[in-house]
Amino acid sequence: MDLNLLISYCLRIGVLASAFLGLAGLISWVATGSINLSAISGSGVGNTIASAFAGNASGLIYLAVAVLVATPVFRVALSTFYFANQRDNRFVLITLVVLSMLIFALVSGISG
Amino acid sequence: MIVIGPDEVIWILLMSILAGFVGALFGLGGGILIIPFLTLVEGVPVPLAVGASLVSVVATSSSSAATYVKDHLTNIRVGMFLEIGSVAGAITGASVAGYLPASVLFILFGVLLLYTTIVMIRARKVDFPTGTIPDKTSTILSLGGEYEEHSRNVVVKYQVTRTPLTLIITYFGGIVSALLGVGGGLINVPTLNLIAKIPVKVASATSNFMIGVTAAASSSVYLFRGDVNPLLTAPLIIGVTGGAILGTRILKTAPPSKVKIAFAILLAAISVLMILKGFNLPIVL
Repeated sequence: MDLNLLISYCLRIGVLASAFLGLAGLISWVATGSINLSAISGSGVGNTIASAFAGNASGLIYLAVAVLVATPVFRVALSTFYFANQRDNRFVLITLVVLSMLIFALVSGISG
Repeated sequence: MIVIGPDEVIWILLMSILAGFVGALFGLGGGILIIPFLTLVEGVPVPLAVGASLVSVVATSSSSAATYVKDHLTNIRVGMFLEIGSVAGAITGASVAGYLPASVLFILFGVLLLYTTIVMIRARKVDFPTGTIPDKTSTILSLGGEYEEHSRNVVVKYQVTRTPLTLIITYFGGIVSALLGVGGGLINVPTLNLIAKIPVKVASATSNFMIGVTAAASSSVYLFRGDVNPLLTAPLIIGVTGGAILGTRILKTAPPSKVKIAFAILLAAISVLMILKGFNLPIVL
């Protein structure tokens, strides 16, 4: 498959899934009339996302944010595999450098 | 603690649609409109405004990038290469955010915007750079490309030059993005067009492409710091996604010089707002 199409679908699916989850979160907020505004922090990530599956407005929106932030990261990972398949070693290296920086940003956020 | 009710959510939703539309048109993430709206109109504290804006920037740029990439308007290789700079900048910016006074940043940013506006207006005729000689990095990485110019019905081939300088500037673009909650398109687009000699439409599409990854890096830092408020962020994500889809449709047919003039006027107006904000002067909106 063409890299352009692969990236295009990846981005579109991620953004739509996130918009859908965000909308579900807002509807849940309107329906229940309240929201737990406690901010997400390192250890709370798992719990918050777990609460999304229980229909919690705040949890649904955080899940939307998580899906959205993961979308470009996934796009970079996808490109690494594509360039590896094309034996374009320079671009495998370039995408791996970008990917490791993105993972560093996530990991340093969780531990900090 | 800020109180957000249904009225605020609806206003944020409407503003987000507009921001997404304009963002997609000019290669901006939309944050340039969202930050003044949230801080000046809704009274949201700056870290929360920046956090929510950065998340919405991921949505706008990913959404419009999906279309540009499919239409082969984006130079994926240039984008991937320059993301090394922009993502490193985003992590730097998100890390130092909070140590620098916001007023200083707003003034510096306003001045930078004015400078960018002047450069854009003066170089308005460089829409189709020809005879560009690629530099060494550009040749090794085969960064040159081509795209279909719909307004002239021709396939435009182009080369990429001054790659190391472009990479350094995108690093600073990443810092500005993470500090101020904007996409960084206002730095990327002129840099790609005027320094790397990439045609403005490709520059805009490639900037959009890079911004998604750049803002993903910085917004993950804000997210884990607790600066992403769900009720600010949800209407932003939904609004900018819708607005960006509209904006992307228009860019495909609008002539490049008109796109550039409108972009320059927008930059000038926002730079005045930024400087006023930096000096703590009252702004009537």
